[in-house]
Amino acid sequence: MTAHVPPAVPGARPAGPLATAVHLAPLFTRRRDGDRLATALPVAAFGVVTALLLVVLGGAQAFFRWDDDLASTYEALAVIAVVLLLVPLATVGASAARLAARRRDERLASLRLLGATTGTITALTVLEAAVTALVGAVVGVALYAVLAPVVGLLRFRGEVLGAQMWVPWWWLPLAVLGVALLAAASAVVGLRAVVVTPLGVRTRQRPGTAHWVRVVIAVGVLVAGLVLMQMLGVLGRLGGIVAIIGTLAAIFGGMLLALDALGPWFVRIRARRQARRAQTVPRLLAARMVLEDPKAAWRQVSGVAMTSFVGVFGAVGLAFGATTPTEGMDGDERWLMQDVSTGVLVTVAVSFLMVACSVGINQAASTLDRAAVHVSLDRLGVPRSVMGEATRRAVMSALWMVAGGSALCAAVLLFPLVGYAIFVQPVAIATAVSVFALGFLAVRGAAALSARLVPGILARPERAL
Amino acid sequence: MQYPGGVTPALDSVDLDIAAGESVAIMGASGSGKTTLLHCLAGILRPTAGSVTFASSQGPLQVESLDDAARSRLRREELGFVFQQGLLLDELTALENVAVARMLGGVPRGQAEAEAAQWLQYLGLTGLEQRRLGELSGGQAQRVAIARAQVTGARLIFADEPTGALDSATSVEVLDLLLSATTQGRTLVVVTHDADVARRCARTVVLRDGRVVSDTAASAPAASAEVTR
Repeated sequence: MTAHVPPAVPGARPAGPLATAVHLAPLFTRRRDGDRLATALPVAAFGVVTALLLVVLGGAQAFFRWDDDLASTYEALAVIAVVLLLVPLATVGASAARLAARRRDERLASLRLLGATTGTITALTVLEAAVTALVGAVVGVALYAVLAPVVGLLRFRGEVLGAQMWVPWWWLPLAVLGVALLAAASAVVGLRAVVVTPLGVRTRQRPGTAHWVRVVIAVGVLVAGLVLMQMLGVLGRLGGIVAIIGTLAAIFGGMLLALDALGPWFVRIRARRQARRAQTVPRLLAARMVLEDPKAAWRQVSGVAMTSFVGVFGAVGLAFGATTPTEGMDGDERWLMQDVSTGVLVTVAVSFLMVACSVGINQAASTLDRAAVHVSLDRLGVPRSVMGEATRRAVMSALWMVAGGSALCAAVLLFPLVGYAIFVQPVAIATAVSVFALGFLAVRGAAALSARLVPGILARPERAL
Repeated sequence: MQYPGGVTPALDSVDLDIAAGESVAIMGASGSGKTTLLHCLAGILRPTAGSVTFASSQGPLQVESLDDAARSRLRREELGFVFQQGLLLDELTALENVAVARMLGGVPRGQAEAEAAQWLQYLGLTGLEQRRLGELSGGQAQRVAIARAQVTGARLIFADEPTGALDSATSVEVLDLLLSATTQGRTLVVVTHDADVARRCARTVVLRDGRVVSDTAASAPAASAEVTR
């Protein structure tokens, strides 16, 4: 039998970028066995994001069911808790988006080499991220159905949250759609940060810098915040409650921004010192990993900065709530002090859980991204525990700085009260410390989880290199 | 040697005896089994049949009979590796990348860095010790990898396409450095596609379909290689 040269194909009518992307997308969904994990992880990550988002929203809306005198107080507290949890939730979302984008680059460069336009590349990336997020978000709704009854066991005003944890049904498609849209937006932002050429994708950006100018600006913001706090009374007389709430929101936002500006700088200073003093390979590697991008190291765990700060106030509140005589109070007033403290500790716990998820997702992405390094180190005879320990140390070092530093600041501000609380209500303080300790353990566990991916990578090294 | 699910053996009836201080080039087409042979010799892969004997500092070792941890220790303490991509850690400086090899053996950091600095100086990288990998050229990074391969006192150095990503002038320099190790009594095994690289080695083994098809000594061994700085 003689083989013939295939006939030349007639010129096809050029399709638009979106149509081309839709045709190409299915080719990329059929992955090899070894990449199943790579496909499943982003889906799971978006699932966690959606479930956490719904749990937080469900918990918050449960506080909007009362219509007595204290209703507005509980509503305000619920809004504050949601605002506090927005930062860690955004961090988990960003981690999930990053995980979805990994290993995309080589494929994009190959497509450019084959003649794909920038429009096709963008459409394909957005489509892929959105579909992954959509599937993950649906999984997240199921996860929410499992979590909500558990969280519903929490008691406020003497009664369990129970069925109040369920959000209205029409919030579910909105949440799914919102997560998918956010993923698509993240993908676009991610693409803007790289240059896709037929010869490759320039992805390695300059390490994030943490300049001292940020410190000066941040200190200025903090001082302005303190001055505004002193002027609250005057502002209240001039503009009423709206001025007070507006000023408080501005101070709160300013503090978050200042913290975000100061954090990476402190993280860098500490990591530099650790790099100089490190005597073991994991310690040296951990410090250098943080120095590679202090901003990223900070952002990964920054979600607990504000909650740790507020958590100390909650702990002290819990202690004082337990010692305050309740004879003159009515039932609702008695619950309020207790509920504020419970709410603060729950918020702290959820924020740590979110950071743990974010760390788990980030480290999984990083381990898969650096598969070739793991294979190489193994070939060089480097013990498998070295990279795992270095990763864990890098995460925990930043976490100690963020959570420990914030809690310490709050403790210093409340110094005499903290001392008194420890003395008169050690159980209340121990409860708060336990929440922090469990939070640290959860993050440590999440950081260690990524090490479980390494044996799989080493079992099929040819796929990594 | 047969890979799981493989139809034909990756290596078949390979019988090699490599003497201390020798430089051996392993050549062959893609898929001929060059890298598999290197991995079996280095204890990265365990051959499905046959044996690999290594004259370690503790006496002869049957590499294939060692467990994973023992083979890792062997690679860490007695063998050196230089690959096409240097396989250095991006986060670390040139000095730290070399020193890490010693620190993993329990040497204090100060001493490890002092020894690393000497090797970097010997290999012509004075002044670049604190540069990170991204700030070095391909040739400089390969020199760092060579320093790391030798700083532990490795008796046997494996190089897999060490000049594959370098221009011809830098390739010559890097090969000079690798061959200079044999003048210090170390053994060098190089996997290469490059006939020029093979010509510089004392012996060339050619593989085809997993079998040795020729094993020849060079007429002019390259033991006279000098370090280029």
